[in-house]
Amino acid sequence: MTQGPTERRRFLAAAVNSIQALIGGTLAVLLGGAVVGPSFLRRRETWLKAGSLDALTDDEPMPVTIRVSRQDGFTQTVERQVVFLVKSGERVTALSSTCTHLGCRVSWDSEAKQLKCPCHGGVYDRTGAVIAGPPPAPLAPLTTRVDGDQVFIQA
Amino acid sequence: MQPFFDWLDDRTNYRAARRHLLDEPLPPGTGWWFVTGSILLFLLGVQLLTGVVLTMYYVPSSAMAYDSVRFIMTQLTFGRVIRGLHFFGASFIVIASVVHMLRVVIFGSYKKPREVTWITGVLLLLIILGFALSGYLLPWDQRAYWATTVTINIARSTPIVGEQVAGLLRGGANLGALTLLRWYAAHVFLLPAALIAFTVAHIYLMRRHGISGPIVPKAGASRPFYPAQALRDSIVVSVVFAALLTFAVTVRAPLDAIADPSDARYIPRPEWYFLSLFQLLKYFPGKLEPVATMVIPGIVVALLFLLPFIDRTKGRRPSQRWIVMMAFCGGLLGIAGLTALGLRDTPRTEDVNRWAPLSMAGYEFARDARCQACHQVGGAADPVDETIARRDPDWLVAHVRDPQMIAPDLRPVPSGAMTEGQGRSIVAYMRRVRAGASPPVMTANQAAIAVYGRYCSTCHALDGEGATVGPDLSHVGAKHDAMWFREWITDPTAVQFDATMPPFGDRLNDEQMTAIVNYLAARK
Repeated sequence: MTQGPTERRRFLAAAVNSIQALIGGTLAVLLGGAVVGPSFLRRRETWLKAGSLDALTDDEPMPVTIRVSRQDGFTQTVERQVVFLVKSGERVTALSSTCTHLGCRVSWDSEAKQLKCPCHGGVYDRTGAVIAGPPPAPLAPLTTRVDGDQVFIQA
Repeated sequence: MQPFFDWLDDRTNYRAARRHLLDEPLPPGTGWWFVTGSILLFLLGVQLLTGVVLTMYYVPSSAMAYDSVRFIMTQLTFGRVIRGLHFFGASFIVIASVVHMLRVVIFGSYKKPREVTWITGVLLLLIILGFALSGYLLPWDQRAYWATTVTINIARSTPIVGEQVAGLLRGGANLGALTLLRWYAAHVFLLPAALIAFTVAHIYLMRRHGISGPIVPKAGASRPFYPAQALRDSIVVSVVFAALLTFAVTVRAPLDAIADPSDARYIPRPEWYFLSLFQLLKYFPGKLEPVATMVIPGIVVALLFLLPFIDRTKGRRPSQRWIVMMAFCGGLLGIAGLTALGLRDTPRTEDVNRWAPLSMAGYEFARDARCQACHQVGGAADPVDETIARRDPDWLVAHVRDPQMIAPDLRPVPSGAMTEGQGRSIVAYMRRVRAGASPPVMTANQAAIAVYGRYCSTCHALDGEGATVGPDLSHVGAKHDAMWFREWITDPTAVQFDATMPPFGDRLNDEQMTAIVNYLAARK
């Protein structure tokens, strides 16, 4: 049985389409990967020296400034972050100073024993939990590690 | 979906456009020879797509360009392959253009009524070469910088208006940030616009006159482009793409160390497709230079443009056009010969991982506790290995010799600071860090290398690094033995009364002296 012209044409068309789909697919994966890839890169976190244990008073959050150097694409940027170190007995925790409402910087009111946001009246306790005001979530905790006399923060 | 496509067709008439595109009537006998244009069109498309993705990560500034290209090569997902496709794609296009042109010449396809099609083709070839030339500068590495210096100097040799042309190419008093920006603008805006315009014109003219078909026309009805010829095109294009992808994946597109305008030792070399012109220049020195840079290339381009009007023979058979065939063969053989001669003289690419003693010494010196007081994770500065040194070498040397001093030459270096040689060693090491080198493997010669870095490197070079005030020490062991070196280094004037080198006998201890003399004696 011989193949008719329509069948041959259909076979050739399928071959053309397959080859072009293969080339197009390969290019799409490569180029798409390069466009999308960096969007999903995770930040590399390192342990940074935040202060000495002796300088901390029990249950009294102390603000420290840490220098965080990051790879920003092909360049390097340096961020300075203010973090609260809170010592409770043997345990040291660290809280971000960024208010979870709109991102203002909170400060420690030593008389009221509260962390207060100057922008819209957000109030947190020394563990970072919301006491009053608009903040939708507690202050973000940071992972800490105590090595000898030194407190380290992962940032 | 059918009602949707019917609606779309009713509004746009896209089915008729598709039919017009695919049902191009081809003369009988059209076969594999006529795929060359499609290869070019495909390769240009790949350049356009990879180019767009590269511009998402490339920064056209002399301070950032190099690091952004290195980021593409080392950090970006598939970045190395995409730059490889773009880099090797340029070479593929040059080859494909020559093959396409040869096909047109052998088949006599440039003849009436296709003269203008041929002229647009020659213009496209020049635009492609313009892309190659402007793209070469963009990585801002040593090759880019020095090859462009040569290109601009060639432009300067133009009679009468040379200086003006060179100034226009530079965009400023020196080859620098302004040059990079205008070459970038040409590469990503002007040339692509010209390329697209002339490609559309070329294809329009090709459709207007139809393709020329076999040299001796065959009898029979014409056949549509789709699907038989489209399949031939697709098969050849897929083979070319597979070859290009193999290159891009297996061969690393070159990226030298960052451009250093003060490095007079670098030997510039162009990309292989400009090597014949570069070689030609060697045979026309001095005042004759414009013959190689302007006259010969100008005549070749003019002849190419005028080919359809010069060749007035009636037939398309090559045997009827033997002068044209001979001229093309001669021209191509000449270009191939010059390219081969140029390749023979091309110096090897510098490998940043082939460490020279100066940067090896710098690697060790940078581990000094005084550096690490600040250069540590979470410290006042990043670890030395992760620091991209963007300052000029003199600032870095001053900083290394006294880290607290940020302004060089304003106050004397305190005692106990690093030596000038140590400073230069660390700068050489930082340069390798920026060029993406892996840490060196330290050898048994560590002590000698430290002595060389601390004292000798201020005047002497070794393996291409170090100052050139005194003789190069790379093969100095072939001339003298260890005993001679000991006497010379201890007090050069005791060996030669008018020696200018200072004595080091009182500065080196026994261990250091033994290490350096044995090391130099072994450098045959």
